[in-house]
Amino acid sequence: MTRTHTFLCVSCPVGCSLTVEEEEGVLVAVSGESCPRGRRYAETELKDPRRTFAGTVAVSGGALPVCPVRSRGGIPKGLLADVARAVSQVVVEAPIVIGQVVIADVCGSGIDITASRSLGGRP
Amino acid sequence: MPEVPVDVAIVGAGPAGVAAGIGAREAGAKEVLVLERDWDLGGILQQCIHPGFGLRTFKEELTGPEFMHRWIERAHGAGVRFSTNTMVFSMDDDGSLWTMNPHRGIEHVVPKAVVLAMGCRERPAGAIKLTGTRGAGIYTAGTAQRFVNMEGLLPGKRVVILGSGDIGLIMARRMIWEGAEVEGVYEIMPWAGGLRRNVAQCLDDFHIPFHLEHAVLSTHGRDRLEGVTVAKIDAQRRPVEGTERYVPCDTLLLAVGLIPENELSRMAGVAIHPGTGGPVVNQFLQTSKPQIFAAGNVVIVYDLADNVSDEGMRAGRNAALYAAGDLPCGGRRFEIKGGKAVRLFSPQWITDGGDATVFFRVVRPFECRCKVFADHGLFSQTHRYARPGEMNEVHLSARDLRSLDPGVTSLTVDVEEV
Amino acid sequence: MMKRGILKPLGFPKEVGAAPQNDGCLRKDWGAFQGSPLDPPEVTGVTAGNYDVLIVGGGITGATLARELSAFDLRVAVLDKAGDLPSGASRANSGMLHAGYDDKPGTVKARFCAPGNKRYRELHEMLDFTLRPWGSYVCAFSEADCRHLEKLKDQGARNGVPGLDIVPGDVLRRREPQASPHIVAALHAPTGGVVNNFEAVLAFLDNAQQNGVELFLDTEVRRVLLTEGGGEVLGVETSRGIFLAPVIVNAAGTHSGEIAALVGDESIQIRPTRGEYFITDKAIGSMIKSFFFPCPDERGKGVTVARTADGNLLLGPTSVRQGDKDDTATTPQGLAEVMAGALRLVPSIPQELTITSFAGIRAADRTEDFRIGALARPRGFVHMAGIKSPGLTSAPALALHVVELLREELADRISMKPNPHSIPERTHILRFAALTMEERQDLVRQNPAYAQIVCRCETVTEAQIVEAVRRGARTVASVKMWTRAGSGRCQGGFCCPRVVDILARELHMDPDEVTRHGGPSRLLVGHTKAFWQKREAHHA
Repeated sequence: MTRTHTFLCVSCPVGCSLTVEEEEGVLVAVSGESCPRGRRYAETELKDPRRTFAGTVAVSGGALPVCPVRSRGGIPKGLLADVARAVSQVVVEAPIVIGQVVIADVCGSGIDITASRSLGGRP
Repeated sequence: MPEVPVDVAIVGAGPAGVAAGIGAREAGAKEVLVLERDWDLGGILQQCIHPGFGLRTFKEELTGPEFMHRWIERAHGAGVRFSTNTMVFSMDDDGSLWTMNPHRGIEHVVPKAVVLAMGCRERPAGAIKLTGTRGAGIYTAGTAQRFVNMEGLLPGKRVVILGSGDIGLIMARRMIWEGAEVEGVYEIMPWAGGLRRNVAQCLDDFHIPFHLEHAVLSTHGRDRLEGVTVAKIDAQRRPVEGTERYVPCDTLLLAVGLIPENELSRMAGVAIHPGTGGPVVNQFLQTSKPQIFAAGNVVIVYDLADNVSDEGMRAGRNAALYAAGDLPCGGRRFEIKGGKAVRLFSPQWITDGGDATVFFRVVRPFECRCKVFADHGLFSQTHRYARPGEMNEVHLSARDLRSLDPGVTSLTVDVEEV
Repeated sequence: MMKRGILKPLGFPKEVGAAPQNDGCLRKDWGAFQGSPLDPPEVTGVTAGNYDVLIVGGGITGATLARELSAFDLRVAVLDKAGDLPSGASRANSGMLHAGYDDKPGTVKARFCAPGNKRYRELHEMLDFTLRPWGSYVCAFSEADCRHLEKLKDQGARNGVPGLDIVPGDVLRRREPQASPHIVAALHAPTGGVVNNFEAVLAFLDNAQQNGVELFLDTEVRRVLLTEGGGEVLGVETSRGIFLAPVIVNAAGTHSGEIAALVGDESIQIRPTRGEYFITDKAIGSMIKSFFFPCPDERGKGVTVARTADGNLLLGPTSVRQGDKDDTATTPQGLAEVMAGALRLVPSIPQELTITSFAGIRAADRTEDFRIGALARPRGFVHMAGIKSPGLTSAPALALHVVELLREELADRISMKPNPHSIPERTHILRFAALTMEERQDLVRQNPAYAQIVCRCETVTEAQIVEAVRRGARTVASVKMWTRAGSGRCQGGFCCPRVVDILARELHMDPDEVTRHGGPSRLLVGHTKAFWQKREAHHA
């Protein structure tokens, strides 16, 4: 049985409205995308919806009390709350270098959480 | 007062200012000094920790700090000088700047050319005539973002958001990720103010109710906010009887508009456009004072940081050329006008001395095939939609401008359904 | 930029023998209790102190009296239930010094308005608060209005108001091009002026404290203690303990009726009357040079347009009776009335340039007049109640009057010997924004905290905020009232996180304990990470 879904592609700020037909979880047709990323997004959104996580991690001895962090890739949607909780439990010592791994393989997702900025020690 | 002579001075080290520094150095300016009031570089993007920046420039989705990191590294490599903890508190008619810094005290920076890149401030509650009590817990969304993302402090636990501009949508998600509840987003217009992608990722993903054509009428709670009264509004923005509803909450975030921060520009006598709230500029980003240039949100509120950096680069480059006496001037002048569907646009005038891109925002969404065009056949492009939250671009070539009929003195940009 | 002249050292008076108490150090305003400034504990039964005079209420009335009494060798305490001062009507008003033509001759208001106005002019330099002698106009739109102007002029003459004259509309518009073309004539009062009302209250209180007066905040009077038989006052019982004194002054604003009732005097009936206001961006402050009233009606002076002491435009107030004595919520109808009334006087005000709105509650007595006097019974109890417009203006003159009243009628209870160490002058926190470039440079060299701008809109530096804390500011609102940080066009959007940071650092508090205006008005609910932990604990 073919089902039709509509959702916004979030690959970029354009936000194409995708109309997606799937049958038994297999992508049948996509329309509405304006670049190849749209089709790829439709496929993954059906099979394995993921979101990039971005938040902050507590810092000790830093110029700021928190440091922004992000996931280096999409986290399975269902795991996001666990990831937020995991990030909230970590304290990183300054100095921090942009890109440094804060949590490797967060919640078993295979995705690392890395620092989004460099942060010096408390002046 | 000690004088600091430089070739190009830039006010603000956000995406426009840092790029302007690079543009100026790459165009040959020797002494390029960027003045930043915060203790660190990056401007507002320091606190925009969500991904979505740099797709056009770097073909990657970066967070605000990551985006700025790349530009800042490039600026250091290009020999741009930065002065942080340095507030520019006054600008004279000639574009010279009075600065304050805890170590160096007051200095008089005397540049050959200036690039203004101060960005915006947020519209406060008083400007939208919000009524009710004045308890703690009412914030503009950007201030709340600073508290959460840089101070590690939570403004509240149960949030109502007024306004669906990007900052409001982004903060809805952010507050959820820090454990708060977001009761809903209320927007007076019949459409979202921010990018569709943010509606999807910040509201739909979390099932946060999005109420279009609704207003927050008043706030309750003398010491700390306890709730707000919301209602549906009609086309005249008046509350519809019977739709008033009390919403318990302890936090109200206001995302009701950004205002270009042009206090310095006004001090120096730079002409300000009443529509954009920013300096009147041409395609070289030159203001009404030839030695003063401007770029980024201080000119017009942009949607994409990539556009802001690009514009910063161009402004820096042109400022450097001006400082060296090499900026082409003269040429035929055309006033830019916005058609019926256009709300804001920049630049406001151009010459045929160079190519020009006019950025503008439409006054309402066009959810259909439409053409974005300039008259006199100068440009036309078909798009699948046009939305107020996303800027449109009209590209004009110098050659086409030069071949226009002598009687043409103004060009109109507009959008029409196809 | 206003040149302030020779910079006086902060808070330090001239050398005159022994330094008075409270010589610029942290003010002793936490009085009897210890512990966190934000959650002062209830204290019952404990005697907090023995005084000669207790002033209930730290608004303009209590503050001006405290300052006059500080010239005497008396132990004086000001008690206020608020967490920061000024609160109440002294915080939310138009800052106007009325000339005095508006009050019916023979009333107490008429007796003290013009003298109060004069006293402000005598004191503002000595006490270093901002006063602008702009002058005011009452505007007539019709023949009937013009007759009213004549009546006011007449009334003013009888009340001792100098310089009143009626000018035709054209003359007004030559002086004030933005005034409405429909104004046919206007009563000009050259002695009309505006003050920064926060600075004024703080100046009087600050000077009083420097001279030994003690200030107790978060201190609510619950009972007045009387001798057996109820013939004399002994003191008050408050949420902070018992204060004993032979003289108690009721300067409690909207609550002055309740305080009176504590000694069995039911004659003071306060009818809270709300006034709503807009403040505009400073960019349009120079649209007018003075301030305008419409012709007054039975409700009051009407919606005015004023250039404030700090260069904004103030629009308002309305005049609406309400039940609640403390509810300062603004209303859509009220603000609409403010804008309509303002546009009537100055039609070209750009409505989108409002930056904030607020409401104040007038403490109007049922008699519509001030209630000043010492009670026969219990002896020692003095009223300064029903202080509504022109209360702010009249206060310094009322204070002098009450000092005389104490001297004449209550000499058996307190002795009014002069205090040889009291110093009548004080300096406010340096107004960095008003200094010249050279003065700023000197300051910055002495103290780099002056080069750290915290409030960008009003050019307020970190040094000023630190000094405000030193003088008693504990809340974001108090910092704003002392320094103007947060009063500008972005309304604290930029400076609020920085002010919170400075308060937390200077007061050794966690930033999430900082309040907007004291009590439960915390700005933040905690640290970001704590929240997930709490939720986890909850779900576990």
